[in-house]
Amino acid sequence: MNAWEGFLAARDIWQEPLVASLLAGALCGFLGIYVVLRRTVFVSAALTQLSTLGIIVALILEEAIGVEAEHAGVQLAVALAFSMAGALVLGLALHGRKLPGEASVGVIYVLAGALVVLGANRLVHAAHDLNAMVFGNAVAVPVSDLIVLAVVVVVCATLHALFAKELVFVSFDGETAAALGFDTRFWNGLLFLTLGLAIPVSARALGALPVFAFLTIPAAAALLLVGRLRPAFLVASIIGVVAATGGYLVSWFWQLPTGATMVTIAGLFVVVGLFFRRK
Amino acid sequence: MNSPTLSTLVAVEDAAIGYGSPFLHGISLTVSSSDFLAIVGPNGGGKTTLLRTLLGVQPVLNGRRVQDAPLRIGYVPQRDHVDAFWPLTVAEVTIMGRYRLVARGRRPGARDREAVATALDRVGIADLAPRAFRTLSGGQRQRTLIARALASEPQLLALDEPTSGMDPPAELDAMDVLRDLHRAGGLAVVMVSHRLEAVANYASRLAFVDKDRQLFHVGSLESMVNPDALGELYGRRVTVRQENGRRFVYPEPGGER
Repeated sequence: MNAWEGFLAARDIWQEPLVASLLAGALCGFLGIYVVLRRTVFVSAALTQLSTLGIIVALILEEAIGVEAEHAGVQLAVALAFSMAGALVLGLALHGRKLPGEASVGVIYVLAGALVVLGANRLVHAAHDLNAMVFGNAVAVPVSDLIVLAVVVVVCATLHALFAKELVFVSFDGETAAALGFDTRFWNGLLFLTLGLAIPVSARALGALPVFAFLTIPAAAALLLVGRLRPAFLVASIIGVVAATGGYLVSWFWQLPTGATMVTIAGLFVVVGLFFRRK
Repeated sequence: MNSPTLSTLVAVEDAAIGYGSPFLHGISLTVSSSDFLAIVGPNGGGKTTLLRTLLGVQPVLNGRRVQDAPLRIGYVPQRDHVDAFWPLTVAEVTIMGRYRLVARGRRPGARDREAVATALDRVGIADLAPRAFRTLSGGQRQRTLIARALASEPQLLALDEPTSGMDPPAELDAMDVLRDLHRAGGLAVVMVSHRLEAVANYASRLAFVDKDRQLFHVGSLESMVNPDALGELYGRRVTVRQENGRRFVYPEPGGER
């Protein structure tokens, strides 16, 4: 049996992770356009850390007080709660007057990162799983996670299709949008909520680090390659899909770490973008 | 006190303005449908806060804001506040002025695109519609932002430092556009500027704001742009000269009063 036949024969192993990678790649690629253009790359990093922290808190609760949190659904629910609460806080903090927005994001990012390290230190027995969550292996994605991811993709796609003009206007020029009567807090909150939804469910499939990368790299490549906003959303989604699924396949055949392979393939698109920059 | 009249678009009465805590009290200011009002004062003096309060973006902290009927506002932010990195064309930026008139979940239609074409034509950049916003000169970007404001078919055009960072010819050019739009009728203009000279030949009324000196004065251009009034406002001797029908304002060196 050659490698390709072996791959096809193992369909039961890869079909859910591959579909999950495809969906997460498209979703993160699309949302990344907002992340990059709003200059909030580190917001996605902070939300990714918060979502990982949520999973660790779920595991610690299970260990400390016997709450049944080993179930993947419970972990995902806690990660979602952390990520969405973080999205709302960061959405407000970015427009705070007491601290520059980036300082608030930085505080949340490093604090969540430190708590992840402290929490992981208490969960020595789960070190392997945690490593997969952070760096991404996309090896085993339960059908339930895939369904949640698909639902989140549909919800985000629907919201962004229905309210594209409001989200773009408020992101591009919030000051004018506010002067014309748009509730900028609401629209910013909605945008950050979709990010808060997308990050934990994508991180379950790709891993936290690849999700951060996928919220940045496909969008950066698309913005280098395309000179218009609407096509940039499409191209970023396509790059996300190609890098996620391509990375999964390459890592399968060459026995490479999945998350790192996906990120590297996404990075190649930036190199291509640098050579074929829009005019 | 300026009481609202039939032609009043919006007014603030005995208002306190600020963010969280008030930094200027007792402000009464009315904008009527034929106004060309310039809000001037030093940087950080509270001009933008007054404009935002007038527009209802910022709540009055005391007193009240009066607006009897729904008001169509066109707003031009400071040019530097608009991120030119976004891959948008001039037409795409301009059509944002129509978004308030388009229902949620709907896209702009033919009527909106027509309004965009008209607005771009009014400010003389119809040919730039397909150009990328980021490739424009400062003056062209400013005209695009004015066109976006006009696309909303406003009764009140509000501008925050519209000539900031422009060279003198571009500044005159932008001010001429505003004067022509105002003269065409049906449009009140309220603009913020830290450069008195930029507005002294265009506005019909001036409001002077300086929170550090707790100053707020409003009056006709004639009553405000004279050596006595400006000397009191700036705290130093000021010369006002007229050449070829244009006013020039010179703060005098070492002229503290």
